[in-house]
Amino acid sequence: MSVATKNAFKVTVTGEQREGKCESCGTQTVKQFYMDGERKRVHMVCPKCGGQGRLIVKTYSIQAPKPPQGANPKCLWQFFLRVMFCSLLSTYHRKRVEYATHNRYKNMPAKYRSGEPSPQNIKEAIKAIIKLKLGR
Amino acid sequence: MAQTQTWTDTGIAELILLLREEAATGMESIVCLEMATVTTAVVGSTFADPADTAVHHTDSGLELAAIDTVGGDTVNTAGDTITFDHVFTASGTKNVSGIHVCNNDDNVTFIECGFNAVLAVESGDTITIDGQSTIEQA
Repeated sequence: MSVATKNAFKVTVTGEQREGKCESCGTQTVKQFYMDGERKRVHMVCPKCGGQGRLIVKTYSIQAPKPPQGANPKCLWQFFLRVMFCSLLSTYHRKRVEYATHNRYKNMPAKYRSGEPSPQNIKEAIKAIIKLKLGR
Repeated sequence: MAQTQTWTDTGIAELILLLREEAATGMESIVCLEMATVTTAVVGSTFADPADTAVHHTDSGLELAAIDTVGGDTVNTAGDTITFDHVFTASGTKNVSGIHVCNNDDNVTFIECGFNAVLAVESGDTITIDGQSTIEQA
C-alpha cells in the first residue's frame, strides 16, 4: 500500500513585481535583509525614506483541492464544490495578473495589484470575475 | 490556468541522494523562466528542459543566481518546511513566466513554478520571490 506520494510535497510561491524606484521620493530601492520572526527574509526598500517601489502586481499561489474522503454523494458534492471554487479562483487571479501587468501605469483598485482580499467562496469568486471584466 | 508549482521528479531524486549521502547538493540557485505565454509546471521538468517551451533567462538580472535566503520553518511539525526568498532586479524588458529553484551544482531543478500570468518586466523592475515547501505526513 502506498502511504505517501509526491502530493506530500506542498509548494507555495508568490512573485511580487515592483518598480525599482521609491514611490514616495523616487530614490532607487536597494536590497535589504530583515528578520521576520526566526525567518531571514529579503526585500527592496528606499535607503532614504524606507519606502518601497510601486507595486505592479503580485502573483497568487493556488493549491489544488484535496481529494474526496469517501465515495458517498455528500463527499463527492463537497469535492465538486472545491474543484469549482479552485477553478473560479484560478480564473480570477489569472485575469487579475494579466490586467495589472498590461496596465502598469493605470490607476486601479489596489486589490487587483495585490490580490488581496482574495475571494473566499464560489459566490465571491464569480462576483469578482464579473467586476474585473466590467472594470475594463 | 491556475498558478502552478511543484517539486520535480529530478528534485526528489536529488533529495533522496542527499539522504543517502551520495553525490548531491542542496537548494542554492534560482532562475527566471522565459516564455511568451503561461508556463504550466510539471513534475517531469528538468534543469535542461523546463515545462512547455520555457527556457532559463540568461541575462538582464533574471539569470541563474544564488538564492538570497534559504531557511527552515514550521508549518505542521518542527522543521517540516524549507523557505526561500530572492529578489531579481531586471535590467531589460523581458517576459517572466515562472521560476526554477535549483541545486548548488546548477544541474537539477528542485521546484518549478509557473505564475498566474506572464509578468512583463521593464528595466529597473524588481521581482521578489517568496517561497516555501512543506513535506507533510500523508
